[in-house]
Amino acid sequence: MAERPSISQLEKGEKAVIVGYRADDIPIKLYEMGLLPGVALTLKQRLPFNGPICVQVIGNPNAVALRKTEADLILVDSIA
Amino acid sequence: MTKTKIALVGNPNVGKSTLFNRLTGMRQRVGNYPGITVEKRTGSFSHQQREYEVIDLPGAYGIHPSSLDEELVYDVLADPSNPNHPESVVVIADPFNLYRGALLYQQIRDMGLPAIFVVNMVDEAERAGISIDTVKLEDTLSTRVVLTDARSGRGMEALKAALAYKPSAAPQPFAIPTEYARAVEAVKTAAGQPHDYLAWLYLSQKRVKHLDEPQQTAIANIRQAHHLSHHRLQIQETMARHQDLEHRLKGIVGKPTTTRERFTDRADRLLTHPLWGYVIFFLLLLLIFQAIYTWSGPFMDGIDQAFAWLATQAGKWLPPGPLNGLLTDGIIAGIGGIVIFIPQIAILFVFISLMEESGYMSRVVFLMDRWLRPFGLSGKSAVPLMSGAACAIPAVMSARTIENDKERLITILVTPFMTCSARLPIYIVIIGLVIPQQRVLGLELQALVLFGMYLLGILAALGSAWVLKLFVKSNYKSFLILEMPTYKYPVARNVLFTVWDKTKGFVVGAGKIILAISIILWVLGSFGLDERFTDAEEIVRTENPDISDADFENKVQSQQLEYSILGTLGRFIEPAITPLGYDWKMGIGLIASFAAREVFVSTMATVYSLGGTDDELTIRERMASEINANTGRPAYNLASGLSLLLFYAFAMQCMSTIAIVRKETNSWKWTLIQLAFMTGFAYLAALFAYQLLN
Repeated sequence: MAERPSISQLEKGEKAVIVGYRADDIPIKLYEMGLLPGVALTLKQRLPFNGPICVQVIGNPNAVALRKTEADLILVDSIA
Repeated sequence: MTKTKIALVGNPNVGKSTLFNRLTGMRQRVGNYPGITVEKRTGSFSHQQREYEVIDLPGAYGIHPSSLDEELVYDVLADPSNPNHPESVVVIADPFNLYRGALLYQQIRDMGLPAIFVVNMVDEAERAGISIDTVKLEDTLSTRVVLTDARSGRGMEALKAALAYKPSAAPQPFAIPTEYARAVEAVKTAAGQPHDYLAWLYLSQKRVKHLDEPQQTAIANIRQAHHLSHHRLQIQETMARHQDLEHRLKGIVGKPTTTRERFTDRADRLLTHPLWGYVIFFLLLLLIFQAIYTWSGPFMDGIDQAFAWLATQAGKWLPPGPLNGLLTDGIIAGIGGIVIFIPQIAILFVFISLMEESGYMSRVVFLMDRWLRPFGLSGKSAVPLMSGAACAIPAVMSARTIENDKERLITILVTPFMTCSARLPIYIVIIGLVIPQQRVLGLELQALVLFGMYLLGILAALGSAWVLKLFVKSNYKSFLILEMPTYKYPVARNVLFTVWDKTKGFVVGAGKIILAISIILWVLGSFGLDERFTDAEEIVRTENPDISDADFENKVQSQQLEYSILGTLGRFIEPAITPLGYDWKMGIGLIASFAAREVFVSTMATVYSLGGTDDELTIRERMASEINANTGRPAYNLASGLSLLLFYAFAMQCMSTIAIVRKETNSWKWTLIQLAFMTGFAYLAALFAYQLLN
């Protein structure tokens, strides 16, 4: 399987669907926050100098902020 | 009539506190959980001849803890012998995240607790066009479901009525995957826990606080024997529940019908902007700083005058003498010195609570994370550091939302460097005495020095965090996973409750210490064992045969102070503080300040009034005219004044903070390291400043 892009590689405003994770031991909080496979989201904001990013799960008004290190773990498929 | 204990549980940002305030009104109090200092809010109310005691548990995303707050929720709910263990639970969910709320609800029901389900913020859901099929939801969750809007008060009566409802059997419990059945059976035997799901929770948790050591070890061994990782088990349970809920909640919550761009999106485009986000945040900080100083001015003047009047009246009423000095200069002036900071603390907490309530605080965390990380801190450290500008005690407590143990520990250790309100009375008095009143580049020099002291506090906090980062080890990976809720209008009563709580805590805590210290000082200063104390009059007469009556009185009193128990203590530490430019009288102030730094000024007043008969002077005038007996120069000159400022900026002089740090870190080692590091650094900085300037 070719390596898929992670959330941190998305462009601002780009939509994508979570397809899996890069590592096994990812924080349980990611699951509890609902960042699960099949969930569609958009990249809402990105801070400079490898700062955190902010994603918005589609249909949920609350956004989620992640450090680049966590965002790198979440693999996505971009959707137009 | 017995009270029914109920607990409010829910994800963060679902309006749980607002609901709690609605339910209990003024009948609430803030305390601590035994052992750890997570703030505990309890309250009570009655409905249809039933008394309810409500406990507001911290927000949690699930029953598997990933922060101290969540650990507490698990402990209270899983351990029937916990004093806060409720008889029933109210699970509060947000209509936009019903899955998450339902997940937590199922976990709680599976633990064997009766619970009802509240969907809060329904007004917002209706505006977005979301519909909720309550009947179907009640059927799925097999309990009573109540729709509320705690902001407007909608649904509160229905909620109170639903509290009497007792759900029958637990709905389809979580099916423990068969591959773990044997491990769970082993845990049940080892821990004497007959309940399947509770045993499963023991197995899937790193550590269960309420079990004893042999049981913990036994469970760890079972995990090892079956090659299980607690983390994997948690993930497996959460995933399974999500899949199940997705299926079961289908059709119960409608999709939002309005897709118009929401206010939050537009606001965030600016407030979390890579450039403007920071500009706005720093402008806001400036506004807060400005507000604390200018808005509080008239209130502080009023309080100052009121206490001056009170001291004068009390001074006239009592006969002159040391007791008069204790009451007017020690107690009344000391309490006044605390009360005067109420306006500033209240204003700061109004801002902090507005930022929390509106949802802006999570944006601050988002913005600051990148810049705090190099110092071993997290974006979440921004909140304790900012609150530290008011008082380190609530600030240290607010660090409990930081999940990573290393980041949390460093935050706790450096927060007391921030310039808290208790440092202000000292800064203001000393700056007034030693910094000339002039303008530099059109700015007040005294104000600049005060601003510099704030800056120094921030630099000391960040600098020592950077150093600590090299020494503190962590077993966990650091992460930031933060929900950024939609912006909301702050609820006035929530803001008022916060401001009231924090201000009252500060005043009552500090007031007690000042009262106690003033009395102890007065007693220690009024008794002595040395013959130069007991026979002072004779000795002064023999040594100075030609002294006038007025001088004689003064001489006797100052000699008695010098040889009293208090004076002996001061003279004992004098060799250590002479290099910093202080005399033994200031040494007494320093000793007393280790209880709470804000007592310095009132202590000096007590010391100077015990040693002289002149009751006409104010504290400030007395300090200005005081001569250091060793150097023959004014006790408060530029060199000794700056040395004092630096000492108070860095030293750990607050018993309450030490106690809180001990509780929050659960470690005497780190508490003592902090005390030694801060005080040692303060000593060196003061020494350097005095020797350089003198």
